[in-house]
Amino acid sequence: MGALLGLGGGVIMVPLLVFLLDVPIHIASGASIVAVVATSSASASVYVRDEVTNMRLGMFLELATTLGAVTGASLMANASESVLKALFGLSLLYASVVMGVQMRKTDRSWESRPDDWLASKLRLGGSYWDEAREEEIEYGVDHTLPTFGVSYIAGILSGLLGIGGGGVKVPAMNVVSSVPMKAAVATSNFMIGVTASASALVYIRHGFCDVFITAPVVLGTLVGSYLGARMTRRLRGVMMKRVFIAVLLILGLRMIISGAGLL
Amino acid sequence: MEVFISKLLWGGVVLSGLLLVAGLGLLWVTGDTSCPYGVMTFDWVLGGDPFLEPSHVIFLGFLVLIMTPVLRIVASTVVYAWMHDWLYTMLTGVVLVILVVSMTLGIG
Repeated sequence: MGALLGLGGGVIMVPLLVFLLDVPIHIASGASIVAVVATSSASASVYVRDEVTNMRLGMFLELATTLGAVTGASLMANASESVLKALFGLSLLYASVVMGVQMRKTDRSWESRPDDWLASKLRLGGSYWDEAREEEIEYGVDHTLPTFGVSYIAGILSGLLGIGGGGVKVPAMNVVSSVPMKAAVATSNFMIGVTASASALVYIRHGFCDVFITAPVVLGTLVGSYLGARMTRRLRGVMMKRVFIAVLLILGLRMIISGAGLL
Repeated sequence: MEVFISKLLWGGVVLSGLLLVAGLGLLWVTGDTSCPYGVMTFDWVLGGDPFLEPSHVIFLGFLVLIMTPVLRIVASTVVYAWMHDWLYTMLTGVVLVILVVSMTLGIG
């Protein structure tokens, strides 16, 4: 599931473990953050081989997310979690609305635009072979700086809330920078592992990690994301985008509710 | 480059997967269900008899998994340098430094 949408899957896993299996929340978070690393590496190995991942874009945006994560971690002491969650929830809702509106305009999963000056300097534009459409898809990366900024903010949030941030990065790449949905998802998956690995290490070192719960969860995600990534090949970008919008809506609402202290 | 990076990621995934399966298998065989809570150290993970304490094997699997993205960045920095793509060598190099610094700070 995570592999399909470029999300870490932590947002689904934590509540599942806590509510269904009665796992303490910090153990659940620990298990899910290790699982996020698993999702990233397993699915990225498929996406990179298929050349759907835009590695240059990924590396460039990683600069923003890692910087953001460090900023977030250092802000940790004086930030209100409920305000953060509410803000994050609102930005997810906003992203899903923008994506939805944009989808009405075109039958493809992205608006074709050429590279802007920064993207051409960094040679960010890419192409990939789309199995579902059976054509080579070329695209440019527009509005590079705004997407860099959004990724930085996504990094801050992931540092603060322990969230992968895929829910923010995918819409940024897709809507702001006109990257096709598939490439955006693949590139987001590629990046997530980096920030998640740093937080996973912290969790493990502090003992927020239970081998009996984490090991099966991680094994499951390894297999699941590998299969998910292989499935993505055949899916149409538009379909992925529809599902993504729905998931963003649910996540956004959940974040706001939990931020308001109702959950 | 794509093939190399994808193989690297795949290798990390398979290795950690095997370690996890082995660890869980050993758990099942030995019936050792002692649960290691508390702060983990690298010495602890690497020390210990795998047959007596399968949880060490599982933790080794986690560590391999967590180190895979870091290795991926190290590898891409080297590959970009090898291709004389200095812009991206610098970019990935900076990411690597930030990551290593944040990891060591997080541990400390």
